[in-house]
Amino acid sequence: MTFADLAPGDAVFTAAFPVSREHLAAYADASGDHNPIHLDEAAAKAAGLPDVIAHGMFTMGLVSRAVLEWIDGAGIDARLTEFSARFAKPVVVPAETGAIVEVEAKVRKADDDSVELALTAYSGGEKVLVPSRATLTRS
Amino acid sequence: MLNTSYVGRSLPTTEPVVITADSVSRFARALGLPGDAAVPPTYLVSLTMPAADPLIADPEFGLDWSRVLHRDQRFVYHRELRAGTEVALTPTVESIKTVAGNDLLTIHTEVADAEGLAAEVWTTLFVAGDPA
Repeated sequence: MTFADLAPGDAVFTAAFPVSREHLAAYADASGDHNPIHLDEAAAKAAGLPDVIAHGMFTMGLVSRAVLEWIDGAGIDARLTEFSARFAKPVVVPAETGAIVEVEAKVRKADDDSVELALTAYSGGEKVLVPSRATLTRS
Repeated sequence: MLNTSYVGRSLPTTEPVVITADSVSRFARALGLPGDAAVPPTYLVSLTMPAADPLIADPEFGLDWSRVLHRDQRFVYHRELRAGTEVALTPTVESIKTVAGNDLLTIHTEVADAEGLAAEVWTTLFVAGDPA
């Protein structure tokens, strides 16, 4: 596939990732962000949240994974040159059920050398990351 | 409220930090990415947040971490970073916007390797104002 095959508005991929408390604990260790609202129910509730929430950067990391897996699967020789997100709503992660983060990608702009994706992440029926953009540039 | 006189002010560039293979692989695995030498796109926050610690510790700046929510994040990658690269970080208070008594603080961090500017990272924090 080449970028020239893509047109603005094209839906390019969707992905879904389960999120558990164990994922958040591993991400806290790997990133150094040990804010207790991502680990401890009592701390989250004391901060006015319904339950433990995922790190915004964990969710953004899952979005980056969806983009990288798409590039890989489509055999596109490109690298990420720009990546942004707004954290619109928290991803609530109950201990028993965990959460699901779904990612949807559409083409925003495309030319021969680069494509800009408009990404949205959903969880619990809410848009949690929006807007999010990723620009891929041909290597 | 944040001290708006800090807008435009940069912190001293950090000592060089090595992007270790171990930290890259742990970060990648935590996101379900292959733990190879490729640095995950969001990895740099694990370096930029500690680089901004002097601002959090500065009582003159007035940033109360317990009132902070992460609102926006943006990365520009000028070239691919690999595990083993040594980088130095320079955070700058880019802007402080006050909206309805709350502050939106944007910190812009330049990430330089031996060849120069390798990446730029913008973090915008929502800082809740005093309850009315």
